[in-house]
Amino acid sequence: MSCSKTPHLMKEYFSDDLAPMAGEELEKHLAQCVDCNTELEALLMSQSNLKQWRDQQVPHWDRNVELFKREHRPPPQQIAFWNRLQWLPIAASFAMLAIMIFNVSIASNESGFSISFGRDGESIESMLEIFDQLQQTQRSEMADLVARVEARLDSNNLQLLQAVVNQTQLATAENMDRVYAYFEQQRLIDLQDMRLGYQQLVDSDYETIRSLEQLAQFVSYESEVR
Amino acid sequence: MQNDDYTGGINEDEALIASALNGSAYAWEKLVKRHESKIYNHGLRLTGNATDAMDLMQEVFLGVYRNLHRFRGDAKFSSWLFRIAHNKAVDMNRRKRLAATSMRVTDDEGSDVFDAIASAPKYEPDASFGEHQQNGQVLKMLSQLPMEQRLIVELKVYQSQTFEEIAVMQGLSVNTAKTRFYTALKKLKVISEKNHVLF
Repeated sequence: MSCSKTPHLMKEYFSDDLAPMAGEELEKHLAQCVDCNTELEALLMSQSNLKQWRDQQVPHWDRNVELFKREHRPPPQQIAFWNRLQWLPIAASFAMLAIMIFNVSIASNESGFSISFGRDGESIESMLEIFDQLQQTQRSEMADLVARVEARLDSNNLQLLQAVVNQTQLATAENMDRVYAYFEQQRLIDLQDMRLGYQQLVDSDYETIRSLEQLAQFVSYESEVR
Repeated sequence: MQNDDYTGGINEDEALIASALNGSAYAWEKLVKRHESKIYNHGLRLTGNATDAMDLMQEVFLGVYRNLHRFRGDAKFSSWLFRIAHNKAVDMNRRKRLAATSMRVTDDEGSDVFDAIASAPKYEPDASFGEHQQNGQVLKMLSQLPMEQRLIVELKVYQSQTFEEIAVMQGLSVNTAKTRFYTALKKLKVISEKNHVLF
């Protein structure tokens, strides 16, 4: 390579921001300089060889999906304290059921607690009596409760009715006032109209009388002239 | 090269990123599939063999996965991804050089044998490229360039970056980037002539 400008010109050729004038100068030099031209062709060939690359297919791989799923797994739901207690009513029901089935009785006295299973035949009647008494007590309490509720409802209804009546009375009084005012207004208007009418009538009578007087004067004058 | 698709004004990459950040494994996988070929082939050209290219690609996407929440969307996702890939490739090369120089051995002439080995990729024979035999030729040529020149060639020829962008990415001046590229092309010319490379 004998041309001293070749390295500089080749760098400029591959530059991205070559000015148009510089490009023209470069083309002019390349047209005249064999060394630069040959060098450029060789470099372009190298670049072209590199661009023969064809993308290879990616071998199969995980793509970090398992890692992703592992790290984005929803956390196990923590059972709130109060949610744990939801089993309590069911457990209590089972306990009551067991007590009823096995006739468990728990008695406490001065010496402590005693638990016994099953009952003898004699105590069943007493249990039934107690049960009947409990039922009667419950019925009377229920009846009292119903009576109290009914009384409360009646009282509420009466109060509501009274309020409605009061409201209606007030509204009616207001309406009556309005109606009265309206009629009074109309009466005054009618009176006014009547007064105007009479005035007009009086005025027209007066004109008539005047006309008659003038006519009488004229007639008397005519008779005097004859 | 894949380009970002715009669907109804919404960037598909950004839509997939949003879904992935919300926990969609499907969106994550689709995002990776859109860009893995570009990263894999980039790695293949820089490292010269499929094993190292796969390692590089996995490292890149692991880095993307760990930092996906940091992607702000002010640049294209592919640009951000490629910057990560480029940095990982440079790191990988640096690690290999350090590993080689920690067991420094010199030959009779005093030159550093492991330096030469470390900068040259583990070149795989043409048979591994299947129908793309010319890829083997390309790799053979690239493998004889030092890493700095190989990076410039990769960015200029395969990523179509300007010298300004290359200079920023590599931390060089524009003139240095241009000089390295020209030097690389000259060397490739000599290699092609020596090996009578035909495409």
